[in-house]
Amino acid sequence: MSESVSAPPRRRHFLEVRKPVSKRQAVLSAIAIWVVFFGIWAAASASGMVNELLVPAPQKVLFTIYDLFAERAFAADVLISIMRVLIAFLLASIVAIPLGVMMGSFPAVEGIVNPFVSAWRYLPAPSFIPILLMWFGTGETPKLALLFIGVVFLLITLVMDHTKNVRHELVETALTLGANRYVTVRSVILPAVLPEIVIAMRQMLAVTWTYLVIAEIVASTTGIGAMMMRARRFLHTDEIMAGIIVIGALGLIFDLLFVRLHRQLFPYIQEKRR
Amino acid sequence: MSPAKEAAAEQAPILTLDGISKSFDLGKGKTLEAITGVSFGVSRNEICVILGPSGCGKSTVLRMMAGLETPTSGDLMLEGRHIDGPGRDRGMVFQAYTSFDWMSVRRNVEFGMKINGVPASERRDRADHYIRLVGLTKFADAYPTQLSGGMRQRVAIARTLANGPELLLMDEPFGALDAETRWHMQELLVEIAESTRTTIVMVTHDIEEAIFLADKIVFMSRHPGRVKCEIVPEFKNGKRITEKEKVIDLDGYSEIERQIMRLMREEGAKD
Ligand SMILES: Nc1ncnc2c1ncn2[C@@H]1O[C@H](COP(=O)(O)OP(=O)(O)OP(=O)(O)O)[C@@H](O)[C@H]1O
Ligand SMILES: [Mg+2]
Repeated sequence: MSESVSAPPRRRHFLEVRKPVSKRQAVLSAIAIWVVFFGIWAAASASGMVNELLVPAPQKVLFTIYDLFAERAFAADVLISIMRVLIAFLLASIVAIPLGVMMGSFPAVEGIVNPFVSAWRYLPAPSFIPILLMWFGTGETPKLALLFIGVVFLLITLVMDHTKNVRHELVETALTLGANRYVTVRSVILPAVLPEIVIAMRQMLAVTWTYLVIAEIVASTTGIGAMMMRARRFLHTDEIMAGIIVIGALGLIFDLLFVRLHRQLFPYIQEKRR
Repeated sequence: MSPAKEAAAEQAPILTLDGISKSFDLGKGKTLEAITGVSFGVSRNEICVILGPSGCGKSTVLRMMAGLETPTSGDLMLEGRHIDGPGRDRGMVFQAYTSFDWMSVRRNVEFGMKINGVPASERRDRADHYIRLVGLTKFADAYPTQLSGGMRQRVAIARTLANGPELLLMDEPFGALDAETRWHMQELLVEIAESTRTTIVMVTHDIEEAIFLADKIVFMSRHPGRVKCEIVPEFKNGKRITEKEKVIDLDGYSEIERQIMRLMREEGAKD
């Protein structure tokens, strides 16, 4: 075998326009940014630049997280928060997805529902808290209702818009193959829009977490948000920060689950052209 | 049937357009007269090519045949039935890709048969047959997103043919393809027309493609869109030739090409 004369490899710049980086570099970058963040935080605490009462050191917050779970039954609060998010989000999805697909497929349905939905969408959900508390008292219902109201109208609109964006040629192809209206919606429009719906759900799940914290801070004795409000009363900033970190971690986990789900459900989108 | 009668049946058009006009409502009280008084017929097993400059209403005419657009006046009949809305007897292949990306090639091809209640085993056999016909057997289980543009267009053709339409309608089906793929697809289409005996109406603005494929060319002019003339490429002697260069080499090819180019230039001068 003769040695082929190869051109010297082109030097790769750190910044390459839209060239994906290696898996290794991606992981290192992700770790690095957090190391820098905690590094600055730890340095600021150690040097006494910040008031320890207001900004506890990161190692103290991490220990508090451990302590909360191990000694103070924090898991029950976390679990109840997760349940609230999931139940409200599931109910919102059950209403919003079929309705949004119908609205995006049939202008007649859009004509009826959209004038109603678009008005509600602009009302900030927290403005309903006083009336929800009066109607439903202090149980789970007002919290679930707030999360539901906060998410459902946005989700309906997103699903409708994505459904409208399904290419018209696909619909016409189905019709010329002999599909009736219902087959066209069920067998062509719905599967065509489904990947977009899952992405919209992923975005709206993040919004649900936001409303959860609002609901628990304002009107709850259980859940992560309520724990943080209790901690505030006793100036336990480490517990508040522990709560923030746990919420962030949960959001990240759910986000990753959605990415996995998307990849599982829609393998054809991931496939590269040969 | 006697040979003479058979010949007569071949001649009688199965698809007729009778004085078709279409004006589009542009809003604010304005309307656009897209086509007016379009009349012609398409015979069984014929490849009819609609040719003309951009904006003359070729797509509009084809979409009316498919039932995706309704004429403002005039009538379209397929085998004595009025065309009213889309149906499986008129399959359509679009210029844009229409593969259902969430289904494998095989399930794409089976789709029409499935929604029309063809039993599973027959569906599979017919899908296999048409996938082989368009040369995609190796890719039957691939997703359309893994295929090239030409291959995707072949999936669309196989899917339409497998549904057994009387009429295959194609709107610039090869418009987005590169020259070589395009030329392969044109030859494939002639082979398909020969082996399936499907009647084909195709829209193009590529003169070479029109002369190679057509048993009859309907030339449309614009402002407003109407049929300017019908051209039968007599030089092919009613035969279909599957190799493109052989057609180009025939006596009479360049003459008809010149004639059409002149027509196109007259239309261009209208701007
Ligand atoms: N839905 C519509 N609404 C309004 N005008 C339309 C519509 N569809 C077509 N037209 C108009 O009708 C005329 C004919 O359009 P058509 O698409 O049939 O032309 P074409 O011959 O297919 O052109 P091309 O070769 O560019 O595809 C054009 O002037 C176009 O703007
Ligand atoms: Mg067109």
